[in-house]
Amino acid sequence: MATKVAIIASNGGLFDAYKVFNIATASATTDAEVAIFFTFEGLNLIHKEAYQQLPMPVGKEHFAEGFKNANVPSIPELVGMAQQMGVKIIACQMTMDVMNLKKEDFIDGIDVGGAVTFLDFAKDANITLTF
Amino acid sequence: MNSNKVLDAKGLACPMPIVKTKKAIGEIESGEVLEVHTTDKGAKNDLTAWAKSSGHEMLKDTEENGVLKFWIKKG
Repeated sequence: MATKVAIIASNGGLFDAYKVFNIATASATTDAEVAIFFTFEGLNLIHKEAYQQLPMPVGKEHFAEGFKNANVPSIPELVGMAQQMGVKIIACQMTMDVMNLKKEDFIDGIDVGGAVTFLDFAKDANITLTF
Repeated sequence: MNSNKVLDAKGLACPMPIVKTKKAIGEIESGEVLEVHTTDKGAKNDLTAWAKSSGHEMLKDTEENGVLKFWIKKG
């Protein structure tokens, strides 16, 4: 049976996005079944507008040049690749309600679900990660 | 060493070399050899681990003038 990787993304900065999507795409290249549950600030990482310009941590803005020099793909590019490779994206319904966000505010191809949706996937996961 | 396909992944950062390798190996037949060129220093460990976990065989790797080359036999 394929390896299952369950990820919770609960922070909304640029560094958080790279942590989440690098691990997710790398997992997908090993044919693992990957699902990410986006909750609270983590929703920024799949928000149509927000994910195009995620903030750097305060005081770390100078790393912008490092990202450019290292030729790191942009977050929208990484997300697109993750989705192409079958990474499942689940947006937290409760957080969306609290923040008054609709499914249309997010990128295409996502699922909206509650904690149990994620837990059902994660219950027999081989690897569980929280960012 | 002979290869059936060459992938140029030079200048790309993690996880792109692996993502491209995964795609390229899908385009060759089992038993054929994929040659990967990269400048990502993490690729040596990454590609070796990837080949192992994906059922492929790392036949050989070299490093010359900052370019790492790998020969991977598709499982």
